[in-house]
Amino acid sequence: MHLTRHEKAALAGADGPVVQKVMRTVIRQGEALGAERLVDLTGPGHLVIAYAIPGIGPSLEMLEELVAAGLRTTFPFTVDPRPPLDHEDWALDERQIVALEEMYRDQPRYEELLLQLGLRDADAYTCRPSLAEVGNVPHRGDALAWSESAAVVYANSVLGARTNRNGAIFDLLCNLVGKAPLSGLLLDEPRRATWRIDVRAAEPPLPQLLGIAIGRRVLSDVPLVTGLDRFLDPDLDPPTRDYLHELGAAAATAGAVGLFHVEGITPEAVEAGDRILAPDHRASVIDDEALEELSTSFPVLWSRPDARPEKCYLGCPHLSLEQVEWWAASIGTALRERGRDHVAVPTTISVAPQTLARLRDPGSVAGDLEAAGVMLSAGCPMQLFDRDLAAGSAIVTNSTKLRAYTNARFFTDRRIVHILATGEI
Amino acid sequence: MGAERRSFKGRPVVPGSVSGVAAVSRGGFNTYASYSASLHEPSRRAVCADSGNEDLYGIDLAGKVLCIPGTIGSTSGGAVWQRLVAMGNAPAAVLFSGAIDPLAAGGLIVADEWSERRIVVVDGLGDPFLRSVAQGDEVTIAEDGEVVTGRPA
Repeated sequence: MHLTRHEKAALAGADGPVVQKVMRTVIRQGEALGAERLVDLTGPGHLVIAYAIPGIGPSLEMLEELVAAGLRTTFPFTVDPRPPLDHEDWALDERQIVALEEMYRDQPRYEELLLQLGLRDADAYTCRPSLAEVGNVPHRGDALAWSESAAVVYANSVLGARTNRNGAIFDLLCNLVGKAPLSGLLLDEPRRATWRIDVRAAEPPLPQLLGIAIGRRVLSDVPLVTGLDRFLDPDLDPPTRDYLHELGAAAATAGAVGLFHVEGITPEAVEAGDRILAPDHRASVIDDEALEELSTSFPVLWSRPDARPEKCYLGCPHLSLEQVEWWAASIGTALRERGRDHVAVPTTISVAPQTLARLRDPGSVAGDLEAAGVMLSAGCPMQLFDRDLAAGSAIVTNSTKLRAYTNARFFTDRRIVHILATGEI
Repeated sequence: MGAERRSFKGRPVVPGSVSGVAAVSRGGFNTYASYSASLHEPSRRAVCADSGNEDLYGIDLAGKVLCIPGTIGSTSGGAVWQRLVAMGNAPAAVLFSGAIDPLAAGGLIVADEWSERRIVVVDGLGDPFLRSVAQGDEVTIAEDGEVVTGRPA
């Protein structure tokens, strides 16, 4: 690899042993990926390392070592959501509360260390960093070192920024030295589509399912998706952005999709037209029938498969303001139709802290939701399943991502509304 | 189990010589989903918890030689390898039929740089490697990236 004088000096230990180790890690990654050189990052990071549980984030000892060496990111960064320690918003039992408190006993110290390493502020915790109210919105062409698979695929595909799918810890190390290996999705050619996926659907397919189908088909390749332009807004209005966010999150769950293009909609596809397709690309069709089959194919992992739904988690990844408004209106209508004033299943909706603040503005929908028994949280539901904490619970979700990592059962948005209004599947 | 011994040549990403029993995933290996149940307590086992992986679900991956096309899924998967090494239930080696993906490379190199023990990593072994290696095969890996699979006749 070609290294600058400064990079060579850091690698030789000129900036101390910890910087040397960080630089060596980043350079070894570059060699593994065949990078010719490192590139300077041009914008803030978004990192996945929000939890004080080693294995999901770095160990406390590693963070202490980095802080003690005086390392700090070039730009203030955002990270994934906090664990669900706001117990009252998740209808947890005593056993779950005790176990969570024990698991996350180091969380306050961990968060202090993140602030010292360059975390933007004490509320910079969400998996939707690019929402306007959160404000970590990359520019087209930015060179970034992001993680959080859903945030990465959105930044690349919808915003036209450039980042690889970095793993937890490595994401932090890149941002601490302000550099990433110039490889993969940071380059032009690997951003061209190696698959053409033609979607044949009478109505807009559910992005949670279409994303899974695409991820399974293309794995780590870059698809151009056609047939969606008649359903979506080329000016990327909020519903289009939400649609593409859900699509990407699902595709990155079922595969390793870091970038997708949508014909006539996403910026690089609009600009390049047919030239976005690599000459030797493969082609495939996804139709309504395949998506219908997929929606009923997920195994039921509840300990009692015939159980009545006990809880519902919405917002993996975090929902936007507009998505929460859709849920508030849909749940409200369904309850009124059945003469109910409360949801039949305890429900938590997860959103970014900044979205939560907006939802609590006078006249916003938080009041309606809470009056109907729906709780709001800025936490992450995924951690409730660690150590089998929720293994015995019959939890329903509209998220194919949450389903993939837990025993929660997936239903479509419409079906979830029905379940919340009736308590019945 | 493959009866014949077969030899493949890959690129050593984290070089080392080690041997072990093959745990083979024909589809992408979802690191976080596979190990999500194994991260909390030090253990000598690491039972694959990814219900979407029909090859490996329920199989103990500790000390095995993982044979995979590449990794998929959550970027939390990056931190998993370092944790497994610290707890003593890491695989002995991870072998990729394709070129290593950035998520796996970052995680495995971080684990190597920041831990005492190493997970040997070889990539680019080719599709025939993944087609021929069988669950439970003995796999021997050499420092130069040569991988021998199967059992002596």
